[in-house]
Amino acid sequence: MMNTEPFASVFARAVGADALAGDSDSDMQALFPLMPLGQTVDMGHAPDGTPLIDPRLFYSAEFRRNPWPYYRLMRDHYPVFHNQLNNTYYVTRYDDMTECYFDDIGFNTIPKGSSNGVLGNVTHELSGVEHRRRRNLFGQHLVGKALDNRVPAIERLAQEMIDDWENVDAHWKIDRDGVRTIELGQAFADAFPVRVVCDVLGFPKEARGNFVYWYNSIMGGLGASETHKQGMEARQHLEDYVESIVEERRARPTFLYDNDGNVIGKDIISKLCESQVDGDYLSTEEITALIALVVAGGGETTRGTLMNMWYSLLQHPDQTDAVARDESLWDAVFHETLRHSNPIGGQPRHNTFDVQIHGIHIPAGSLIEMVNFSGSHDERIFKDPDSFNIFRPDLYTGKLLRSGYRKEGKCSHMAFGVGPHMCPGAWISHQEAVIGSRIIARTMKNPRINVDRMPKDIDGVSLAPIGINKTRELWLDYDLA
Amino acid sequence: MSTELKEAVKPPSYGAGAPDKDAFTGRNGVPLYARNGVQSDYRTYEIYQRERVHEATDKIRPIQLVSEEFARDPYPALEILRENYPFYRDWLGNSFWVTRYDDVTSIFTDEANFETRPKRWFYGIEDLGRDLGQELPVLEAQARGIDANAERIAREIVEGFASNGGTDLAIEFAARFPMELLACVLDLPRQDFPQFVERYWRMQRGHLWEPKTRQSGLQAIRDLVAYFRPLIEARRAAPGDDLVSAIAGLDTDGGPATAEDLVITLLEQDHETLHGALSNMWFLLLTHPEQMERVKAERRMLKFAYLETLRHSAPVLTAHRFSRHEVERFGRLIPIGALLHCSAAAANRDPRQYKNPDDFIVGRKDLCQREPRGQYRADGLPAGIAVGLGKPTRHPAVPEDRPRSLYAITRDTATTASNVLLEMLPALKLKPGAAPTLRCLRLGEMHTCWSLPVIF
Repeated sequence: MMNTEPFASVFARAVGADALAGDSDSDMQALFPLMPLGQTVDMGHAPDGTPLIDPRLFYSAEFRRNPWPYYRLMRDHYPVFHNQLNNTYYVTRYDDMTECYFDDIGFNTIPKGSSNGVLGNVTHELSGVEHRRRRNLFGQHLVGKALDNRVPAIERLAQEMIDDWENVDAHWKIDRDGVRTIELGQAFADAFPVRVVCDVLGFPKEARGNFVYWYNSIMGGLGASETHKQGMEARQHLEDYVESIVEERRARPTFLYDNDGNVIGKDIISKLCESQVDGDYLSTEEITALIALVVAGGGETTRGTLMNMWYSLLQHPDQTDAVARDESLWDAVFHETLRHSNPIGGQPRHNTFDVQIHGIHIPAGSLIEMVNFSGSHDERIFKDPDSFNIFRPDLYTGKLLRSGYRKEGKCSHMAFGVGPHMCPGAWISHQEAVIGSRIIARTMKNPRINVDRMPKDIDGVSLAPIGINKTRELWLDYDLA
Repeated sequence: MSTELKEAVKPPSYGAGAPDKDAFTGRNGVPLYARNGVQSDYRTYEIYQRERVHEATDKIRPIQLVSEEFARDPYPALEILRENYPFYRDWLGNSFWVTRYDDVTSIFTDEANFETRPKRWFYGIEDLGRDLGQELPVLEAQARGIDANAERIAREIVEGFASNGGTDLAIEFAARFPMELLACVLDLPRQDFPQFVERYWRMQRGHLWEPKTRQSGLQAIRDLVAYFRPLIEARRAAPGDDLVSAIAGLDTDGGPATAEDLVITLLEQDHETLHGALSNMWFLLLTHPEQMERVKAERRMLKFAYLETLRHSAPVLTAHRFSRHEVERFGRLIPIGALLHCSAAAANRDPRQYKNPDDFIVGRKDLCQREPRGQYRADGLPAGIAVGLGKPTRHPAVPEDRPRSLYAITRDTATTASNVLLEMLPALKLKPGAAPTLRCLRLGEMHTCWSLPVIF
């Protein structure tokens, strides 16, 4: 045997000396260091110069705070990105996603049980006519005239909460030198959506306490988390409670009232009790599933939106001034916030047939993630997508449409999805966020962010970006006099 | 929350011994269970929701299955799955985990419902070439080359470091021997050896999820094809007794064999079992002195040490299977195209099959001690599942002239080489202070020992 290069060095070169030493990839921080906003970590290149994407990126802190340049990489180089670590395909361009969303047979919601039983038999996991029927049962109470009827109640609830600010715990509200410092989440955003949902559903006030328990446990138990069991327990508890209410409402329906105490109509549970599918009344289990979905969908999303709206807007003083002069601009703030940093990242679909999108073959039955985050930042649709601008000319800020809006150089954002599965709570969530914000804005004089109390970005000076996180705490200052 | 309610959400005791007295089976064979003595029913409008209601999987988080910890030591997490969630739905990884012995083998033998996808599918190069590994001339050339050279090569390798007083057995023996053997079977010029080793390893590692390694692997495949193209032409003109000549001489339905076919054949017939078994076996023997004594006292025990190594520390942890149709198994409806991680590592330590499964016992009485010929049981005993060898052969078991199985060839080669090592270095022992471990270089790769310092 001829002696050439020692085998150990040949082998180290073949496998990588780092990998052999065993210290290669264990440190995510080292692998994905925090970058200046807008820049990406270099994850290597293919021979033709295409940048590579290491799927561990999606677990990193860097991605959570600075996702937009990475989504841009995906849109530009991998409109369909196959994440082989997680056996998932990501669709990232606005037009491709729209295409898929409207084909609910080819791209069905069969993944089923991504809620893992916590939500029960939820509507959004059905497809086609099954889905349409059940969605309309409760969806009809959250739109149009039914929604208009609820506006007074929403206004009343918001005003009640703000009137109660005097009583907010001193930890979250500090008055000093004519300036009040308040944490918006504790003072308003955490509880407000839950109260609205509670009211809309027609739960008695006593149920509010339970509501927070159901809501937190069910949200925490989604997916395959370690708190899943807690979620299942809460789901059971909710079901038992709803069962008792439903039995009662079947016999004695309850009603909604306007500000003058006149009856507007029955509340949702009472309505659901008398709804029929194929000539059969809905079972208590079916009603619970619908309610669990409203409970889960109606809280965190609206809370996150409210917080993100105020955090984003107040970082742009010129836009803040404009909104202060013209209350009707809150609609634009709502839509631009949802475009720029919406609280829901995307929706899963399974393809019914083998498909090929942008040259990538996706075998039937694959999990495809429609990345709403990325669609709303698609530069093919929105100019300068990473900047927050409520005056942008290319964003449609009118009435939300299930068909989406795309005319005269304007497009709707992707935060609620589009098509048959578009969020049924979109319209009421719009009303909650805008009405709530208007009332807050009337109360606060010269509101601004208390920078000292807010988390900072890596430079230690500027405010932390939202990224794909949600604003957890938002400390605001405003003048009392 | 009442305790009664907490009791009620206890997950059903699916598959674990005696049935729960409250449990009952639904219309479609799905285990359901009673809540407060009242029969619950499917919460379903559709077939896809025929899943067990109220199953909580809070003893494991799916991120544990893609963690660095899992790449180092997967056994604790796999035990949680096997003992609690034998058919675990991994929402994060969009897949299912099969972890019990009987379940894993039932998937492996169910070709009608579950398909194996070759390495080149994961590479995305299915059109590149053909896998000729099942052709008789190829199998024969391989067997000839290995049988004629294995002992000589092992002897030369050990001679190379015998006078040094110590070496790293994982690299200099376990990693080197299969490479030297392969180069010999292919009859490659000596000066090409380092380059071949490098390209071969890059090719074998690149089919996994990490994009940089994949690019490097694709480049290695291109380089290997370019390297073998003139060589295969030369051997076609002047054939020798080697594997390249055997492939060059093939002319099947798809036309004469090309350099691409040769490289794809190499890609699909990897060396992982030989390398991993050698490395893991010596790791286990050196860290279990009492077992080493048994092997030293009786050389024929080496074969049993090899078999027990493949059971106790299988180098290839997991085999992927994909469902061909929507199919119901283990109380769940598996959608079309679903990925199943059939975990050999978990199945090989299944206490339902083996007594004290975590112990390394050479010659254990509850392990099948002979070649299982594509079945997973012989003599009524379970064999260790060695995934690389689970590939179905298209040759029937009956004819006398059936080619010798790769399973047996690999086993004999490993024992031959180990025998040489034992004979030439009788005082072999672990370097004092060394604490070798098994690990995967990267999640999903071979689980083996990468550094095994010894003195002699």
